[in-house]
Amino acid sequence: MGNFGQLMDGFAVALTAHHVMIMAVGVLLGLVVGVLPGLGAPNGVSLLLPLTFTMDPISAIILLTSMYWGALFGGSTTSILFNIPGEPSSVATTFDGYPLARQGQAVRALTLAFTSAGIGALTGVIVITLLSSWVANFAMRFGAAEYFAVYFMAFASFIGMAGGSPFKTLVSMMLGFAAATVGIDTISGESRLTFEIDELIGGISFLIAVIGLFGLGELLLTMEEGLKFEGVKAKLDMRTILRTVAEVPRYWVTLVRSALIGCWMGITPGGPTAASFMSYALGRRFSRRGRNFGKGEPEGIVAPETADHSAGSCALLPMLALGIPGSATAAVMMGGLMIWGLSPGPMLFSTRPDFVWGLIASMYMGNLIAVVLVLATVPLFAYILRAPFTVVGPMITIVCVIGAYTVANHVFDIWLALAFGIVGYVFKKLDYPLAPFVLAMVLGDKAEDAFRQAMLTSDGSPAIFFSNALVSTMMGLGILLLCLPLITVLFKGGLFGRPAAGDAEAHGRSA
Amino acid sequence: MDISRNTMEIATACATALVGGIVCYGASLNGISWNESGPQPGYFPFYIGALIIFGSAATILQTVLRRASTSDVFIDGERLRTIVAFFLPIVVMVAISAWLGLYIGMALYTFYAMRMAAGFRTATSLLTAAIVVAVNFVIFEKIFMVPLLKGPILEYFGIY
Repeated sequence: MGNFGQLMDGFAVALTAHHVMIMAVGVLLGLVVGVLPGLGAPNGVSLLLPLTFTMDPISAIILLTSMYWGALFGGSTTSILFNIPGEPSSVATTFDGYPLARQGQAVRALTLAFTSAGIGALTGVIVITLLSSWVANFAMRFGAAEYFAVYFMAFASFIGMAGGSPFKTLVSMMLGFAAATVGIDTISGESRLTFEIDELIGGISFLIAVIGLFGLGELLLTMEEGLKFEGVKAKLDMRTILRTVAEVPRYWVTLVRSALIGCWMGITPGGPTAASFMSYALGRRFSRRGRNFGKGEPEGIVAPETADHSAGSCALLPMLALGIPGSATAAVMMGGLMIWGLSPGPMLFSTRPDFVWGLIASMYMGNLIAVVLVLATVPLFAYILRAPFTVVGPMITIVCVIGAYTVANHVFDIWLALAFGIVGYVFKKLDYPLAPFVLAMVLGDKAEDAFRQAMLTSDGSPAIFFSNALVSTMMGLGILLLCLPLITVLFKGGLFGRPAAGDAEAHGRSA
Repeated sequence: MDISRNTMEIATACATALVGGIVCYGASLNGISWNESGPQPGYFPFYIGALIIFGSAATILQTVLRRASTSDVFIDGERLRTIVAFFLPIVVMVAISAWLGLYIGMALYTFYAMRMAAGFRTATSLLTAAIVVAVNFVIFEKIFMVPLLKGPILEYFGIY
């Protein structure tokens, strides 16, 4: 159990007063981000990232991941009390959370959500603890061709497993790749796709894209819907909270099933949103109380929440061990790691064990702190949300504009963010998934480098991608995933059939 | 003035196809073939652009084939006005910020949003604008030491 010793070292790093304080601050900021519609986890982390450039990487990543936990938890508060998901990944929580709250059991609904979320997150972190160094060791054997195969698999799984139109996923992803190629080419030093516009030579930062697509785009959507918060009042009392916590083990079947779904969807880049929808759907189909789903059934809260959080934490495993993020937020964090001068991937485990294990240890603590803080701040956020959106909206706008500027101190970036905002709005309304765009933007250069290096070693023969068992298995799986939509269509009959509504939503709003 | 979903689908797909075309053209400037040192810089982007065009074309085809079954509205006139009324002031704010600095931009925007859009009293709106500027100034200039764009007016008063 070498991992255990390293985890203890990690705790020694994470449990300093300074870092615990950073966790609390991060969780609180995350709660704000999670509670406010229009400010999501990917966007929140992007906004905070430029402010961490001066911090040391360990403190910075603890701050950002804590914010991520806070955002995941905060999203459920609004889902349950206001029937408005603060995060795309907590959409499924509204289905049963809000009805239960309407029946006068708001505290029970909230406690159920947070406890199962905590259990989900814990499962995810345990999976990371057990598997990450094993995966990293495995990945040490990877050459350029293997890396490209892994990237290929990640992107193929987006196209193959997404519920909506695979073509829209393809377009969104390729636009991300195109955006990533703008600027100086790392291998040849030539400037590409800049069309002699000076501002583009430095490239387009993925942070700008995230702020525009997720931040301003979501704001426009929220504004259009003319949001009115009609909330359920919640008075917290200790007795109900404790009784509900004691009730949770009764749902162990749902918990285990949802945690497994979450871990799987988090490690493969399905992301928390898809995980929560899938878990809810499977819960409705397999639970004995399935027909109560949608009417305020506790299992209907437990299922999506557990999956959401285990996926959220598991999304960090491939990011750390392989350098491939499992969700949009993880992609942003990985971009951050690269900016801090760390290169995510197997080498990180041997070069910076203090960083990796400090981060993993902080995940245990961060989630614990998040559960406590989220319960403690429910009344506060319920109060904030009574402010009309005509006030909250402009405030979020200002945060986004400043955030876009602070990325590189360029005014041009703010204009770009506005443009991305319009793109994000239109794409979301038309069910184009945005997560592949961000993923492609962060991974674009690395995937291209891996491809070009592999081709250089093989003198331009694509046979290198099938040169040994490992790489051909991965490429084969990738191709299979790519063909998945085609296979489903053949089975269901009828080309261009409409996808199921739930799938399309999960897919369109993937976080 | 309603815009149907189908119209928007096709317009968006045409726009993405156009972007794909631009990407292909831009890549061709860097050379898209192979030379003795491997793929030229434009090789990878060229196929990215081609895939964008392919995906867009498939989306257009999908929309056309489905046309009869869907008559959804993408946005109606009223909602469009709401969006424009929200978005235009942001554009104005960015334009002002680029010229006079972010602090002046955000002050004017906050005042506008409070007074005109949310309908608060003038005094309340002024106070809110002042608070927003003060809070941001403390957070960015003092706590995180990240200077925001000041512009000529603040510099005239000696604030850098």
